[in-house]
Amino acid sequence: MILVIAEQQDGVLNRATWETIAAAQQAGGPVTVAVLGADTAAAAAELAAADVAGVVRVDHEALRVYTLDGFVGSLAALVAAEQPAHVFLPHTYRTRDFAPALAVRCGAPLVTDCVGTKAQDGQLLFVRPVFQGRLLADVAVGGQAFVTFQIGAVRADSVVRGAVPAPVRTAAAGVDAAGIRQQPEAPFREAKQAVDLTQAERIVAVGRGIKGQEQIALAQQLASAIDAELGASRPICDAGWLPMDRQIGSSGQTVAPKVYIALGISGAIQHLVGMKGARTIVAVNKDPEAPIFEIADYGIVGDLFEIVPALIKELQG
Amino acid sequence: MPTAETWIFRILVLGFVAAFVAQVTTRARLAMRARNNIAIDDGETGRRLLRVLTEVVFQSRTIRERPLVGFAHLGVYWGFVAFAGYTAVQFLAGLGIVDLTGTSAFRIYAIALVPFSLAVAVGMAGLMTRRVLVRPKALGDTLSVESVIIGGFILTLMITFLLEFRLDHGVAARVNWWVHAIVILSFMVLIPGSKHFHLVLSPLTIYLRSSELGTVPNLDFERDQVGLEALKDVERKQVLDAFTCVECGRCQVNCPANATGKLLNPKRLVLQTEDALLAGTLETKLADIFDPGILWQCTTCGACEAQCPVGIEHLPLIIGARRGLVSNGEAPDALGAVYNHLERRGNIWGLGADQRQKFVQAAGLEIFDADRHDYLMWLGCAGAFEADFQKALRSLFGILRSCGVTFGVLAKERCTGDVAKRTGNEYQFQELARANIEDFRAARVTRILTSCPHCLRTLGVDYQAFGFQAEVVHSSVLVDGLTRGMLVDGHEAVTLHDPCYLGRYAGVTAEPRDLLARFGAQVREPARSGDNPFCCGAGGGLLFEEHEEGKRISQERFEQLQATGARTVVTACPFCSIMLKGAQASANAPVEFVDLMTFVDGRMKRSGRQAEGVS
Repeated sequence: MILVIAEQQDGVLNRATWETIAAAQQAGGPVTVAVLGADTAAAAAELAAADVAGVVRVDHEALRVYTLDGFVGSLAALVAAEQPAHVFLPHTYRTRDFAPALAVRCGAPLVTDCVGTKAQDGQLLFVRPVFQGRLLADVAVGGQAFVTFQIGAVRADSVVRGAVPAPVRTAAAGVDAAGIRQQPEAPFREAKQAVDLTQAERIVAVGRGIKGQEQIALAQQLASAIDAELGASRPICDAGWLPMDRQIGSSGQTVAPKVYIALGISGAIQHLVGMKGARTIVAVNKDPEAPIFEIADYGIVGDLFEIVPALIKELQG
Repeated sequence: MPTAETWIFRILVLGFVAAFVAQVTTRARLAMRARNNIAIDDGETGRRLLRVLTEVVFQSRTIRERPLVGFAHLGVYWGFVAFAGYTAVQFLAGLGIVDLTGTSAFRIYAIALVPFSLAVAVGMAGLMTRRVLVRPKALGDTLSVESVIIGGFILTLMITFLLEFRLDHGVAARVNWWVHAIVILSFMVLIPGSKHFHLVLSPLTIYLRSSELGTVPNLDFERDQVGLEALKDVERKQVLDAFTCVECGRCQVNCPANATGKLLNPKRLVLQTEDALLAGTLETKLADIFDPGILWQCTTCGACEAQCPVGIEHLPLIIGARRGLVSNGEAPDALGAVYNHLERRGNIWGLGADQRQKFVQAAGLEIFDADRHDYLMWLGCAGAFEADFQKALRSLFGILRSCGVTFGVLAKERCTGDVAKRTGNEYQFQELARANIEDFRAARVTRILTSCPHCLRTLGVDYQAFGFQAEVVHSSVLVDGLTRGMLVDGHEAVTLHDPCYLGRYAGVTAEPRDLLARFGAQVREPARSGDNPFCCGAGGGLLFEEHEEGKRISQERFEQLQATGARTVVTACPFCSIMLKGAQASANAPVEFVDLMTFVDGRMKRSGRQAEGVS
């Protein structure tokens, strides 16, 4: 049996939980889902919709707010009682906090940030990227393992639904409220930057080649045509043509979109280091010697004032 | 039998001396309880004494930047020294110990003092006019009443001295004598608590100053040193510095951060430290004394330290406090990314070694072999990855090859640790330094050539603290020596921007000018050049800074460079080049930046072609 540890906050399950359930279903064998909190009835009912062997509720007032000691204590007790073959967890910030301690408490290895599983000669292997994603390693573990799954590695909508809701039961919390050493304070959200380019899938970035502030509208048109965010190199933001929070580079945001279109950006190193992680880089520049072409996947040498309108026309046509 | 007057004077002197000693003791105690960071057993005694002669006796730094003020101060200083014997004799007489005032030797001495007294009076009148009427920014926004009182004291001393010649033994003469004596005693009591404590301390702080600008000794992790967190961590030399500060503001007016509207003011930093020390709560966190934000506005250009006439070292305080912040995880976010890059990839950009390898192959570089190569060519983070600087390096390689100099590079390099050192990530700096030194030793490196002034400083000076001794030379110095016999005609006007780590730190100012002059350029000097340049804004980790308060330093410098009217600006540092090109792009001004090596190589090739054409 694979035990999946669900993650909920104020009764709301996160997507990573569903991803992990899908990973457990794909690994084969019966799946049990455990959910911890102060009142998990609603979350458990939601989880029971999945095609799983059962849902276990672990309710305790001391689990209302996440604490390391509270979770490690109750989960260690649960694992000891349930004796699962493996324990699957979503690779979230919370998991990163407690999973190492939990694995040590249970005397089992922890395999982190996996992207899937494989069956080989009757043994389950855990697949995880190494060398910054350049290689995939198949990790074999003798006996019980704690395994965390990278966010987005398995699709949440691939969870198989059950014909009837799975049975929900309650387990003892096994938590020693007095022994919890952490005292969480009220949660708060840090003021986020108005523009978060780090999450953008597509970016159109402008550099000095755009010549004038009034020309930025042209880049904005292209961005709108492909539903992209607008970014810029430092001189543009220094000149005040775009706000500082659109600056990309070593002094600015580091971005990794799927598509990065660099318009009139020469590719000074302090800009390159902020966008080199983009999957596909398209560069438009008049200077064929511009360093941006060193890293561009597609390079267009020419006048951006001719090329961009043509691109927009093509995209809209 | 002593008279009543003698007894009154004795009691007064005793009281004033006690008040003086009590204040000095407070300060001496604070200095003695601070950790001792004074290392004078470095075989530099001769140089230190010479420095005391030029900077104390001849006041070279006081005069250098402000000649008029400096000479006025020199007059006051020499007057004080000349008067020492006079005052001693008068006090010995007043205390009833021995009366030498009647001797003919003393009369001759007193007459000889007249020109000195006039020098002091004129100097003081000039300085007072400046302080009270001209009110320069360097002396602060508010008038220092204390300084005015002391100025008045000094003028009174001179007047009473001169009156002495006109008054013979009457009551008026006694009153005059008493006024003179009381003023001296009052002055003495004001000394320790005022900027005038520099009279006592500055010869010491100048003597103790490190011989290399910007020396910030390595932390000893074995002794749990993590940098300056609280006031009690401030070390002995910096405590003495705080008390010796004469509040002249030379550091402030030369500071590029202060000049561009930022809060950082090196003078205020020192004075806040002094006030906090005297307030007596040594557990106070430095972050509560000065806003930690200002610590990250320092480019470590060294202008403050290099200008200070009383030997204050600001960088150990600023970088020391940065270390305290970094060791508590309080570095700015932008630096966090740089530290990650240094740790994972060994360079400030976080780029892969394969990209450096591409350049090494494309430029046809050999791997260093001590038996075959004259120099180890050190590429650095910029040389390994930055396209513009790579062009400059290719020019250098061309010059070296044409001059028959052999060189090779290391198969793998990691950053020298300059950014880590200057931003206070001492642990990372030491890790990088030790690993590099191990590589140098394995490759039997004795001579290193670099075109990056930051690498020059770090490899050449900072690595000595690890016992690494090698000849580390900047390309401008080597190429200047190699091309001594060459002369190319031309009159192209170029502006030279001296990098701080080359002009100010390494003192390399003649070679770039000599090279430019011999290769057909007419050098135009911008405001602030030579050994006191205005920073480009990149140093001290600020290359990675996202937002700058006030005006960008790079923009200010760019405008200074542009003001010479020359279309070409020659630089000799990859980071200056990055910053200034950025400013140029923002201003969209028709100015071209060229690295010194590219300039020389271009002129060399052009003249070679012309020579061939003629023959």
